[in-house]
Amino acid sequence: MGSAHADLYPSRPPPPQPEIIPLKILVAGGFGVGKTTFVGSVSEITPLTTEEVMTSESVGVDDTTAVPDKTTTTVAMDFGRITVDEQLILYLFGTPGQHRFWFMWDELARGAVGAVVLVDLRRIDDCFAAVDYFESRRIPFVVGVNGFPGTVVFANDTVRDALALPTDCPLVRMDAREPRSCLDTLIALVEHALGRSTAA
Amino acid sequence: MTPDRANTPPGDDRVVPVYAFTRGRTRSAGRDLPLEAVVTAAKANTRQGALLQSESLAIVTMCSRPLSLAEIGAALRVPVGVARVLVGDLVNAGYLVAHLPQHTTHAGGPTQAILGRLLDGLRAR
Repeated sequence: MGSAHADLYPSRPPPPQPEIIPLKILVAGGFGVGKTTFVGSVSEITPLTTEEVMTSESVGVDDTTAVPDKTTTTVAMDFGRITVDEQLILYLFGTPGQHRFWFMWDELARGAVGAVVLVDLRRIDDCFAAVDYFESRRIPFVVGVNGFPGTVVFANDTVRDALALPTDCPLVRMDAREPRSCLDTLIALVEHALGRSTAA
Repeated sequence: MTPDRANTPPGDDRVVPVYAFTRGRTRSAGRDLPLEAVVTAAKANTRQGALLQSESLAIVTMCSRPLSLAEIGAALRVPVGVARVLVGDLVNAGYLVAHLPQHTTHAGGPTQAILGRLLDGLRAR
C-alpha cells in the first residue's frame, strides 16, 4: 500500500462500476454491396466513421513471397452500436471493401462474434475474398443476400454452390434497408456462432 | 449505389496535426486498447479534471456514459490511433475505467454464456 496510491484516492475507493462487456460483429462484402446501409439500419446511433491503422507483418499466404516488411495502411470504417442490455454493447463494423486490405483484417477480426458477408447477386465475385477470409480463420459467418431490385432470382443451392459455402454456413435472404431484416440476419449469425461454440 | 466513405476520413479539415494532441506519441504508456473497448469515467477523479488538456477533458466528460474507443475517435474527429493514446493515458491515470472484450481462451470469440445473452437480447428487440 504505497502512499502515492492513497493520495490518488484520498477519501474512499471509487464506487463499483457495472461491468460492461463490448462485443463486435463485422459486416463485410464488396464495394457498394450495402454494408453502410446495413449498419445504419440496425444501429441506435447515427453510423459514425472511424479510421484505424492496420498493420500486417507479412501477407502470409505463400511463404515464397513472404517478405518481413511491415505494412501499415489507414482505412476508414463505418460503425454502429446496439446496446443489448445493461452490460452488453454490440458494435458493428462495416469493413473496408477494397481487396488490398483483406490481409490486414486479423486485428479487426480478433475476438469478434462473427461476420455478416453481404452479397449482391449481380456481382457475386466481390464477396469471395470475404468468404475465404472468414472460412480459413474459422470465424463464424453468415451470408446475407441483399435483395437489390431487378436481381435475377437464383435458388439458394445455386448461390451456395457458386460461393462454395460450407454446409453449416447459413444463407439469409435479406434487405439491408430494412431494420427487421438486418436484425434477423444478426440473430442468424449469433445462432450459428453459438451452435459452433457448443459443438466445439 | 452508395460508395464507401473511404475517401472522406474524419477530421480532414483540421489545421493542427492530430498527433500534436498526443505530443507525437503513437502509443500510450498503458496497454493498447482494441477498437471496441469501452471506457467509463471513474467517478472518484472527476474533480481533478481541471488539470487535463482540453481533448482529454472532453473525453472524460463524454464518458459519463459508456463509449467505445471508436466512438471517442469519431466524436473528437481524430483517428482511432490518437484516441487510443489519449484514452490509454486517462485509464493509466485513473480518470477512466476500461471495459475490455472477454474472449474465450481458444477460438478467440466470446464465451457461450455471453453469446447466449447476446442472442436473447437481439431476439427481444
